[in-house]
Amino acid sequence: MDNKTVETISYLARLKLDKDKKEKITKDLENIIDFVAELQDLNTEDIVPLSNPLEKVAPKREDSVTSKNRKEAFLSNSPESDQDYFMVPKVVE
Amino acid sequence: MSWETVIGLEVHAQLSTNTKLFSSASTKFGSEPNTQVDLVDLGLPGVLPVVNKDAFKKAIRFGLAIEADINQESTFDRKNYFYPDLPKGYQITQMTKPIVEGGSIDIDVDGDKKTINITRAHLEEDAGKSIHDAYPDKSVIDLNRAGTPLLEIVSEPEISSAKEAVSYMKALHQLVTFLDVCDGDMSQGSLRCDANVSIRKVGDAELGTRTEIKNINSFRFIEKAINFEIKRQIKVLESGEKVTQETRLYDSGRDETRPMRSKEFANDYRYFPDPDLLPVVISDDEMEEIRSTFPELPADKSRRYISEFQIDESEAEIISSSRELSNFFEVAVESKNDPKLAANLIVGEIGSLLNKDNIKIDESKLSSDNFNILLQRISDGTISKKIAKTILAEIWETGRNADEIINDQGLVQIQDESLLEEVITKVIESNTKQVEDYKNGKDKLFGFFVGQVMKETQGKANPKAVNDLLKKALNS
Repeated sequence: MDNKTVETISYLARLKLDKDKKEKITKDLENIIDFVAELQDLNTEDIVPLSNPLEKVAPKREDSVTSKNRKEAFLSNSPESDQDYFMVPKVVE
Repeated sequence: MSWETVIGLEVHAQLSTNTKLFSSASTKFGSEPNTQVDLVDLGLPGVLPVVNKDAFKKAIRFGLAIEADINQESTFDRKNYFYPDLPKGYQITQMTKPIVEGGSIDIDVDGDKKTINITRAHLEEDAGKSIHDAYPDKSVIDLNRAGTPLLEIVSEPEISSAKEAVSYMKALHQLVTFLDVCDGDMSQGSLRCDANVSIRKVGDAELGTRTEIKNINSFRFIEKAINFEIKRQIKVLESGEKVTQETRLYDSGRDETRPMRSKEFANDYRYFPDPDLLPVVISDDEMEEIRSTFPELPADKSRRYISEFQIDESEAEIISSSRELSNFFEVAVESKNDPKLAANLIVGEIGSLLNKDNIKIDESKLSSDNFNILLQRISDGTISKKIAKTILAEIWETGRNADEIINDQGLVQIQDESLLEEVITKVIESNTKQVEDYKNGKDKLFGFFVGQVMKETQGKANPKAVNDLLKKALNS
């Protein structure tokens, strides 16, 4: 786990880390990776990857509209909005 | 140097379900912003997604139609990225175990047939809509579309020209609309495509570096965008440079593609299985139900129309190629109308009215009921086929009942022989020169006399009666 990797993943997660934190997190991440690295020693050749630990399957829903319009409540809970929309800092590519 | 083009398409088909993939909010297009949003679509903590049965049904129906493998157990993964119109910070998609794998679609380019193999088709949710020009320093977000089910259909890189890409897209459009999987409305973004384009020297085994053109939403733009990109890449390569792997946008106003995202950081979506969603299992019974409600596809329809109703092959093909037209035709036939007559009017007169207005039959003012009345009035001899065209034109504008139009405008066909004989006598008397020529062997003039009688009767004369009576009068 080097500095550059930590910078990349903190950017991807939109986390701003100062120098001290970055060093601490690098160490923590190294420990975590070492801990789970033990699994690499196991032979998993004939084992199907587990997508979910529960031995259940997803319930399915009928395709009918039951959700109500709660626009005003939702908009009023957002940091910024106008009458119709959520407002965010300008994002143009 | 000669180059060859390699294209793979990723098509997003918006599934025509009532509700979203994981919530029971409506997917209706064009509603007031942010009125079709559920807690799940907002990604609020503590809520859980529940899959929509119909979205799976439609995806499987598509898979069966292209003879693909259906994964009766499929799973969902998270694709992680930040953008304001994606409230959860990840898109739920099927990376590792998609519902549909394999299969193929046949295309036809100027008579040449080709089969394009399909890699996979997976379910995923759409994002919301960002609007950037409403305020000078803000972007605004409408989440009505967030969570709408999409079927992403990925082709193998087997398409070798812009024309083939268009044919592929048209074949796909026809298929998804017939299957009632997607409404196919490209202007509303129901069917949109990303094109991966690369160029290599003829004979090279390896693929060239590709670029991806995002979100092309019309048949015309697919052709133009790909052709521009092919030319651009050839120019880059011929000048000794390398094509950069990047995402590009097609600007239809300037007819060019240009790079879209800064590549400071390569995209890294960090896919992982979505812990909120259990594997989705489709039972054999459910598969059987989907198979048993499988709709008839265009080629089968066309064959059936020809054998069952003896209509022309070309007419059968035109009618069966459109879901709306074939429904319209089938309703008319089920109501005991003459299939040949119905087919004839649908392809001829109605077809040209549809083309003129560039609409679908169910967007027109002509209802099936009214069409039935019109067909019956032709069959029972009340009106001629020629007058039917006048009536159709009026219905097209006003949507009025055909019987009303016939009565109000006095369009009832003239069958009364004595009335017709009167007109014929008049026509013969005022065209003595033509009568003489006809009697001297100019048979072609017969059509002229029919025309004159029709003119005198404003097209209301029964054509068969006119023929018989005219022959009698002229040969006497």
